[in-house]
Amino acid sequence: MDQEDAKLQELLRGSRATPPLPPRFQEYVWRRIGDAEAPARPAPWLDALVNWVLRPRLAFASVAVLMLVGILLGTRGGAQAARHDAQARYIASVAPGSLR
Amino acid sequence: MGRSLVILLGALALGAAVFAGTYFASQRACEMCLATPADELGWLRAEFHLGDAEMARVRQLHEGYLPKCAAMCGQIAVKNRELDSALASGTNVTAEAQAKLAEIAALRAQCQAQMLQHFVEVSQAMPPGQGRRYLAEMIKLTLGSHGEIEQSMSDHAGHEHRH
Repeated sequence: MDQEDAKLQELLRGSRATPPLPPRFQEYVWRRIGDAEAPARPAPWLDALVNWVLRPRLAFASVAVLMLVGILLGTRGGAQAARHDAQARYIASVAPGSLR
Repeated sequence: MGRSLVILLGALALGAAVFAGTYFASQRACEMCLATPADELGWLRAEFHLGDAEMARVRQLHEGYLPKCAAMCGQIAVKNRELDSALASGTNVTAEAQAKLAEIAALRAQCQAQMLQHFVEVSQAMPPGQGRRYLAEMIKLTLGSHGEIEQSMSDHAGHEHRH
């Protein structure tokens, strides 16, 4: 019985065609495994940048500058919008749409 | 890489939010402070640096002009309605419709002349330099658009003809 099984196994192995492996296949597989297992390393420049940005003094200064610029530009934009509205109101009073 | 990037993007988003928040808040506050809904002459005072005496004269001219302007605009509105009914009767431009168009054009020209006369009078009530600036700006803002439209149409027509 065992002999017949062994023959059968041999016949089955012989019936399957096994294509040849590409050159340096094992090396390639081990390199892939190594890459997958290695921990993801952050880019050093990005870490340095984040550390620099998150320093309290710089962070507060940045927020203050952004707020100041926002207030200045917002005030200027608001003044322009108010001026434009007032001008449009005057023009509408002296020159109705049918005259323009 | 991922954590640092998230922190950096978060900081950028926070900065943008701070900037946008202060920008829109101060814009709104400034608009509310400067808005003068009651007085349509407020712009003249601020823009042309007019004193009380000049403002009083300008206000007098303005209040004298408004009823005349309203009367002329009323006449134009009546003629426009007549033109609408003349055009509604058919698909051709009838002699009646043409006559209405001519009447409207004449009324509009009369009204524009009256408006220009008002601008001249108001400009004369201002200091000379400001008066000249006012007159130039009013002509540009009221009649200037006609010139722009005609110019654009003539450019367009020239472009079409060249093809």
